[in-house]
Amino acid sequence: MTEFSLLDYAPVLVMFLVAIGFAASQILVAQLVGPRKRTATKLMPYECGKDPVGSARDRFSVKFYMVAVAFLLFDLEILFVIPFAVAFKSLLAAEQSGTVYYGTIAFVTMMFFLGTVVVGLLYEWKKGAFDWSIQARAEAIAEAAELKRKGGVFSRFRKAA
Amino acid sequence: MEPALGSYLALSGILFSIGAVGVIYKRNAIGMFMCIELMLNSVNLSFVAFSRHYGDVTGQLFVFVVMSVAAAEAAVGLGIIITFFRNRLSVDVDDASILKN
Amino acid sequence: MMNIFLAELADPNVSIPLVLPEMLLALTGILVMIYDSIRPGRRRVTGTISMVGLILSAVALFWIWSTPGQQLSAFGGMIVADSLRMSFTAVFLLVSALTILVSTVWVEREDVHAGEYHTLLLFATVGMMFMASGNDLVIIFLGLETLSIATYVMAGLRRRDLRSNESALKYFILGSYASGFLLYGMALVYGATGTTNVTQIALNTETAQFPALLLVGAAMLVIGFGFKVATVPFHIWTPDVYEGAPSPVTGFMAAGPKAAGFASFLRVFVLGFPLVVGVQASEFLHDSWITALTVMAILTMTVGNIAAIVQNNVKRMLAYSSIAHAGYAMVGFVGAGVAKTATGRDDAIAAVAFYMLTYAVTNLGAFAIVTLVARKNDRRTEFEDYNGIGFRSPVLAFSLSLFMLSLLGLPLTAGFIGKVLVFRPALEAGTSLMVILVVIAVINTAISAYYYLRLIVVMFFRERTEEWSQPKISTALAAVLAITIIGVFYFGIFGNNVIEMFSKYPVDVQMR
Repeated sequence: MTEFSLLDYAPVLVMFLVAIGFAASQILVAQLVGPRKRTATKLMPYECGKDPVGSARDRFSVKFYMVAVAFLLFDLEILFVIPFAVAFKSLLAAEQSGTVYYGTIAFVTMMFFLGTVVVGLLYEWKKGAFDWSIQARAEAIAEAAELKRKGGVFSRFRKAA
Repeated sequence: MEPALGSYLALSGILFSIGAVGVIYKRNAIGMFMCIELMLNSVNLSFVAFSRHYGDVTGQLFVFVVMSVAAAEAAVGLGIIITFFRNRLSVDVDDASILKN
Repeated sequence: MMNIFLAELADPNVSIPLVLPEMLLALTGILVMIYDSIRPGRRRVTGTISMVGLILSAVALFWIWSTPGQQLSAFGGMIVADSLRMSFTAVFLLVSALTILVSTVWVEREDVHAGEYHTLLLFATVGMMFMASGNDLVIIFLGLETLSIATYVMAGLRRRDLRSNESALKYFILGSYASGFLLYGMALVYGATGTTNVTQIALNTETAQFPALLLVGAAMLVIGFGFKVATVPFHIWTPDVYEGAPSPVTGFMAAGPKAAGFASFLRVFVLGFPLVVGVQASEFLHDSWITALTVMAILTMTVGNIAAIVQNNVKRMLAYSSIAHAGYAMVGFVGAGVAKTATGRDDAIAAVAFYMLTYAVTNLGAFAIVTLVARKNDRRTEFEDYNGIGFRSPVLAFSLSLFMLSLLGLPLTAGFIGKVLVFRPALEAGTSLMVILVVIAVINTAISAYYYLRLIVVMFFRERTEEWSQPKISTALAAVLAITIIGVFYFGIFGNNVIEMFSKYPVDVQMR
């Protein structure tokens, strides 16, 4: 067992910093660039798309399921990429010393695999699985326009925007 | 001191049995499906334990395959359960009884 | 660079050419999927692309088959090219092509989303092909799940029909339950022998670290595979699922996945758990699985046939008949297990493949007519719906009668040669258990005459009370009927040619 040194865990710290930085930058960019259409739904306290007030035994939209499944499937792709990434260096080394082109084979195979995953993504996109709802979007736009015209209860937010 | 192969296998066997009995016992399609997932994952535990015992990576490779298959099965299975629910407004398997003699 | 790349593809450890049929078909599946997402609803185009893919795949298969000096295995022994794989793959491709033709009628009538249907069918076929070509438990499991997941969806394709929903739900729950057992069996076999390669498993049985685990694992595998090929007592799902699924899909499920199940069942048991004389663990294991499968075969034939007699729904009757046929095929399977020489074993394997071929051709022909008679939403599938159609639609009635006679096993039809071939290896073994098995199989054939002939009687000698409007036979369906009728006679009369082809590349595992 080698001696314990806190410095060995420095990469973990870097990883944490990158994670925090990424999250912060996303919020910042969204604040700066994102369009603002204030609707009753959008001004609700955030609870992952559910109504914050009311029965918790409610059924929720099937669209959550669509997103969850898409996430699950594309998330699993990493399962096959990581072993490839770990082994790739030694495969390349083997390729340089031997006659069998394992490195190239592995690379081509992995590209083929990723290509298939991209095709799956395109298919979902074309099928409209990522479209939350065309109807809901139209309603939201109409509602925002309405509120803007009327002023109404949300008028005090308008200054901030 | 790490646990012996036997204890992993025992745990895996117990989890598998819980899943297998659960599928028979549960009447809710989602619950049954969760029990099936439990069965698959208990098998994964066996695979990893054997893989370590033999110092052979095939077992771990098998686990990768099983995990991706389980994900695909979850996607399709929940889809089937949802279509059933839409037409029946229930996920109780006892309601699936049109096809009988 | 290009040369290096090509050389790599032919590298003995990779050898792309050996999986060319599978790859071509998988790529076609992806192509159909993309085409359908860009231009939805073009049934004819997706159907044509699928057919072209199947033909290309068949060409690749026959290229491997007819080129001498091919490698026997690829991907480090995970994929093999022996006659077990070749013959079963040919069956799958034929089943898939016929299913696409049969379903043209149904797809148009019910306005099914054809692109998805064709994609799923192609992926299911790829899964079946990997089940036959895989010589490794990993590949077999992967192929089986690719097949199963696609078939679960196909069973539920009529989304608004409760029967179809129910069929898909039952198939899904029970199918994944069986997959769980199969997988646990694989884990235990891996644990006992330390390898997942079937050839290696056979070598390692004598040095197995945990012989008890091997036995339990084999039992679990019997449960898993037994479910997939629908043998008693793991058959309960079959009638419900077959009745509820759309008719063309039912035809596919009875012919394709069953054959695929037999392909890997045969490989794992006959080649993976062979008899090694003098090694106690192996002798015990071999003895146990032979006895277990013999009992299963007897139960399967008997229960299937007796239950079929009391059915009033044609699809359910055909479902029970498919259970009975799984029983007959298992007679050949057990025969392959008890064969004393490698040639005897290979002949028995070829016989099972040939049996599945004859069953697939006959069954798909029958389901083509069931689809045609059933009309929209599979409404007319009762025996009464066939009353007296005999002389009003002679083409349909006579071909359906021919298929029934072939299922029964009348001489000159495919079913007869198939039955003779699968019963022979068991008889040749000569032990009393095998003789009893064959006697029961023959008695069962006699029992089955009742319900097969009943359909013929109903068609020709019953008075029709309802209106009968002659269904239009489309070109695709006419092609299916022509192929299957010619097939029934060709295999029945010139079956030897096919059998010769089926045993061209002996299995690369020697008997010990």
